[in-house]
Amino acid sequence: MLHNIIDPAILFFVFGVLAGAVRSNLEVPPAIAKFFSLYLLMALGLKGGASLAAGGLSMQALLALGAALFMAALVPALAFLTLHRRINPYDAAAVAATYGSVSAVTFIAAQQYLTQQGLSFGGHMTVAMVLMESPAIVMAVLLASWVRSRDAARPAAGAGEEPLPALSIRRVLHEAFTDGAHLLLIAALLIGWVTGERGAAMMQPFTIDIFKGVLAFFLLEMGLLVARQLRDSQARLSRDLVAFGLLAPMFNAALALALAYALGMGRGDAVLLAVLSASASYIVVPAIVRYAIPEARAGVYFTMSLGMTFPFNILLGIPLYVAVSGWFWP
Amino acid sequence: MRAIERKKLLTLIAPRELQRLLLDTLQRRGIGGYTVVPASGAGASGLQSGMLDADSNVVIYIILSEPRLLAVYEDIDRLMRAGYRVKAFSHDIDILPRKPRGPEGGT
Repeated sequence: MLHNIIDPAILFFVFGVLAGAVRSNLEVPPAIAKFFSLYLLMALGLKGGASLAAGGLSMQALLALGAALFMAALVPALAFLTLHRRINPYDAAAVAATYGSVSAVTFIAAQQYLTQQGLSFGGHMTVAMVLMESPAIVMAVLLASWVRSRDAARPAAGAGEEPLPALSIRRVLHEAFTDGAHLLLIAALLIGWVTGERGAAMMQPFTIDIFKGVLAFFLLEMGLLVARQLRDSQARLSRDLVAFGLLAPMFNAALALALAYALGMGRGDAVLLAVLSASASYIVVPAIVRYAIPEARAGVYFTMSLGMTFPFNILLGIPLYVAVSGWFWP
Repeated sequence: MRAIERKKLLTLIAPRELQRLLLDTLQRRGIGGYTVVPASGAGASGLQSGMLDADSNVVIYIILSEPRLLAVYEDIDRLMRAGYRVKAFSHDIDILPRKPRGPEGGT
């Protein structure tokens, strides 16, 4: 765990949180912050694609991708079942979508940690990450539509109020798959795969040499944002939601590790599957959910994923999942 | 000098994700001219720091006539009843038109 804390990128995240907490006027210009997030996705995709080209799609890789799709369906279902009787069901659907999807930055931080620990992993796990982005969104929209039609059927529904027509799955999928960040990641993955080792060598100064520095800067910005969200967000999270935000990542990671062990996946791949299952989206999914489930409160699902689960995974979760995996893998 | 016209300035404040939805709504009313400005802020739906796309706002300015304004307000009202977080307000403005009125009073 100490190895993770003394990583410069993680320390810049901690510094960002502290600077935000003391209300420093330190700020990363928004356009630069957005460039950093696009750069990280591009570098991740290129490296993953090149690694996939080198390793190919073995049976082990296909098993890992199958496990990823399974977790992408299981996690939002469990989240909704856990929450929909405790909180507003639209918020429950939105939280399910957020936690059913993934955080690319958490994934990147996990890869860095695994590399420092000398644990290898396959390039196909970047494909797994891409596969896990979207199923939760579709599930959440279906769940929200079910809640809407249930509410409309109730006699207590407001007189004269027109219920919002269910958003078509086609429209939601269009929004999800044409999202800029998502498209860039897929394109970079394909380009990395097509150009292989030669392309990786050409792009090395961009994807390898400056990667750590950009990650540190981006985590600094994320630290500032986490501090501001926790301090200034008007959303008041209930005890149920706070408990969920802290416990769900560990529970989902445990499920993923158990599944990976049962499938005979390698330790590095298992940890990455656990990290993906434990993470929550704060870039792509909240943007789509705000459009697809307008009844949900962004202050709830965004604050939970960014203010609670992201820092938990970055600081404690990743080393914890690696440590636990060491009990079962040599 | 060309004659000053009385118009309405409609201002919409909404999360960035709703920009396309709002512009499509305006386009259905035949409104093709608007200005979009990135923004940050805070409100009942949480903090919009402007640092990530998922927590950024936009401000959309549209200059239009009063009949069109009322029609757009109906559309925005429908979106708000559906749960979308949009703020819509208008001002009276005096504007120098792009095309001066001819002697017959046409635009």
